[in-house]
Amino acid sequence: MGEEVVHRGTEQIMGFSFNMETLYMTWLAMAIVLLIAFLATRSLKIIPKGWQNVVEIIVLWLHEQLDAMMGERGRFLAPFIVSLFMFLLVSNWLGLVPKMASPTNDLNTTLALALLVIVMVHVLGIFMKGGHYIAHFFKPTPVFVIINAIEEIAKPITLAFRLFGNILAGEILIVVLLKLMPIWMPIPAVAWLAFSIFIGGVQAVIFTMLSMAYLANAVKKEEEES
Amino acid sequence: MIELNMTFFAQIINFVILVVLLRAVAYKPVVNMLKAREDRIKESLDKADADAAEADKLLADYKKKLAAANVKAEDIIRNAEKRASEEREAARAETKREIEQMKKAAEAEIQRDRERAVAQLRGEVVALSMAAAGKIISKNIDKAENEQLITEFVDKLDKDKIGDLPC
Repeated sequence: MGEEVVHRGTEQIMGFSFNMETLYMTWLAMAIVLLIAFLATRSLKIIPKGWQNVVEIIVLWLHEQLDAMMGERGRFLAPFIVSLFMFLLVSNWLGLVPKMASPTNDLNTTLALALLVIVMVHVLGIFMKGGHYIAHFFKPTPVFVIINAIEEIAKPITLAFRLFGNILAGEILIVVLLKLMPIWMPIPAVAWLAFSIFIGGVQAVIFTMLSMAYLANAVKKEEEES
Repeated sequence: MIELNMTFFAQIINFVILVVLLRAVAYKPVVNMLKAREDRIKESLDKADADAAEADKLLADYKKKLAAANVKAEDIIRNAEKRASEEREAARAETKREIEQMKKAAEAEIQRDRERAVAQLRGEVVALSMAAAGKIISKNIDKAENEQLITEFVDKLDKDKIGDLPC
């Protein structure tokens, strides 16, 4: 059944195996994201009009969030956050188009993004806070290092599997519903499709917000910590 | 179904590329534009403030000038009124003087006429008296005595204001 629902199209290239369908879909999602970004920011004017207003609202809202969560130092993360959100949103919805699959229904994609975020968190934390960042794993007492370590390891795993599970489940259930229901009874499939659109948006938001929260922990100034 | 392979690393690279491209294509222009707008709004506001200050200064200037002009106008009106009243006064005095002069001239003329009339009358009276007296006492008195008599009579006339002439 897995074979039927999700074609990975795994191929061997130079001795390594690649899931070609995931890669094609990723490139398609990237192209769509870039196209949207290009169209939205094609003709920026001092006096905004039409789509430019939307783009500006998004960018300003993001800056506000970043400033609130990590102070002015977090501004440089804005392009990363925007890319993450747009890519996840487009990826999640791409799988709802017939004959297509979400890049995020592959654990390779979600784990790649989650680990990228977590590695960034730790690198930025050490880079910006140095010894303090290492030390905070041993607080309030050194014994807590075990709990902290589990927490840090759990972060990328939960991030990756939450997204992966939600999207894969959505796609599988659409296929299953279409197969189970006769063609004259499309309501459950359509309802689930609508719900999947909602889930896709929510999961993109959750992944992005959690990434921001983790990054904020590493980036924000010491005195701002409670 | 959830096996990990090289796709994992490919996805990391893909996403980093996406971030770099998106930053270059969309994020930077938007941020730059926002910055440009911020600068422009700030500039406009500064300019508006400066303009307002200048307008206030101009207004104060004009108010001062207007006040000065009002004072001057009042001065001019006051002067004009003063001059007009002076002129009226002068004209009245002139008219009075003229009337006075005319009155004096008239009086003098009347006086002159009366004197002439009195002299004439006196001459006539003398002649009449002489004629009358001559007729009455033709041969009795010589001419010199006659003359003296008449003169006395006439003088007496003058003294007693005989003859109702307005003198």
